Amino acid sequence: MATQQPNRWVRPYVLTAGRTRTKRPLLMETLVSVTNYDPGFATTLLPESRALYEYARRTLSVAELSAHTGLSLGVTRVLLGDLVAQGRVMLHPTSALTGGGPSDFHMHHNVQLLERLRDGLAKLA
Amino acid sequence: MRKILIVGAGQSGLQLGLSLLRHGYDVTIVSARTPEEIRSGRVMSTQAMFNSSLQLERDQKINFWEEEAPKIQGIHVSLSAPPGQRALEFYGPLESYAQSVDQRLKMAGWLETFEEQGGNVVIHGATTADLDGFTRLYDLVIVAAGKGELVQLFDRDDARSPYSTPQRKLSVVYVHGLEREPHHPEPEVGINIVPGLGELFVIPGLTLSGPCDILFWEGIPGGPLDCWDDRPDPQEHLQRTLDLARQYTPWVYERCRNVELTDPLATLVGAYPPVVRRPVAKLPSGGAVLGMADVVVANDPITGQGSNNAAHCAAIYLQAIVERGDQPFDPAWMQATFDRYWEYASLVTAWTNAMLQPLPEHAQAILAAAATNPTVAARFANGFANPTDFQHWFMDPAKARAYLASLGA
Repeated sequence: MATQQPNRWVRPYVLTAGRTRTKRPLLMETLVSVTNYDPGFATTLLPESRALYEYARRTLSVAELSAHTGLSLGVTRVLLGDLVAQGRVMLHPTSALTGGGPSDFHMHHNVQLLERLRDGLAKLA
Repeated sequence: MRKILIVGAGQSGLQLGLSLLRHGYDVTIVSARTPEEIRSGRVMSTQAMFNSSLQLERDQKINFWEEEAPKIQGIHVSLSAPPGQRALEFYGPLESYAQSVDQRLKMAGWLETFEEQGGNVVIHGATTADLDGFTRLYDLVIVAAGKGELVQLFDRDDARSPYSTPQRKLSVVYVHGLEREPHHPEPEVGINIVPGLGELFVIPGLTLSGPCDILFWEGIPGGPLDCWDDRPDPQEHLQRTLDLARQYTPWVYERCRNVELTDPLATLVGAYPPVVRRPVAKLPSGGAVLGMADVVVANDPITGQGSNNAAHCAAIYLQAIVERGDQPFDPAWMQATFDRYWEYASLVTAWTNAMLQPLPEHAQAILAAAATNPTVAARFANGFANPTDFQHWFMDPAKARAYLASLGA
């Protein structure tokens, strides 16, 4: 998609040209980090995106980034999605839970996640 | 490029999203599930779509399953009165065929296509807090997630919502192996009415494992067809569906000798009150979002119009968005856009709400006439494809009498 003439209803920072797609969804537990931190790029971002970009200089989960920035999980995902599409932030494929595999694989790991959640909750109780 | 965010990846959200991409908009869809999760999940609907809706998909070149899906040629109405005896039946051929594509197949495929064609997909179960943030990031935010918590943002329109409780308990099962009607070997929708108790719909469809049939009981609350609250396991669900068919619609049961579940997640139970909501929700930060399809108009599925309404809503919203050009998508525009949809949906809603009640005398006279007069039968059947026609003859006693008189019926 080529960037069109900006118009007054569109904030400049939301225009993202040449998105590259990732097949892996940004799940709550997906680990992300900034590929090569670029201070010049950081200054072009509006506050919310910039905060995410700064925090993600070290590897964090989507949930942690949401908590650190105070942005809701949905907004965090939308803005991170833009940064990922621009190649500024990468998803870590080492996370067993980034999904995208065949359904058996995905279900298998969801069971593990549920078991970990259950055990974690049991400790809190 | 204007940025539009759609929350919800069903018939209306995806159809609109795919259409907007074709018009050059920057579109993001927020889906609670990945395509793979949708595909490997539970059935969601019966989703029969009639020609006027199928044409909207053809127009956008998203009719990917048209060749594969059974082509439904007509509607076969039977009246079971007293329960278990076929007192009346008629067959109305459709002018153009209808189709039902399992939404697991369709929505998963559309979501993948949407991403391949340059749309942004965010996998996330959106909350009210998210919406507040989204309105600052997008030119327009549309809520098309009819089953989630977000619908509560939209106030109920009491004047347009005559019911406050579910009028039917719903039970759906997808099967392979159903035999065709002996007299009508072509695929048809069967509507089997058991007065006072409910209805059994038989809908040919296409599911993950190929052509199938959908057995859909609508039970009046408190009656013998309201028997799904224990949420039976899939095999028990199928067995109970068949037991009810044997008792109340034995002509359907005769075709069920070799039926089996299409898959372990091929059953669904539910119940919801029909409701019309106000289309514009204001968020704490002052932003506004527009509701679409069953977020704002959720009718009982008794007339099979849910997916059709969604398709029409998506087409109407698309036109309104494109016509808006660079003007702001403000609350006044949102209300006007919904009003355009309501011109269509109000007629569907009136007809659907009427069908939930015991049929008035003039409507009974029409069904009786249809049993002997093919013209009446055909008009009734084709009303499912063009539900705005019912106001002219079916909904009004005087018009019904005049119509039947004009036919000498």
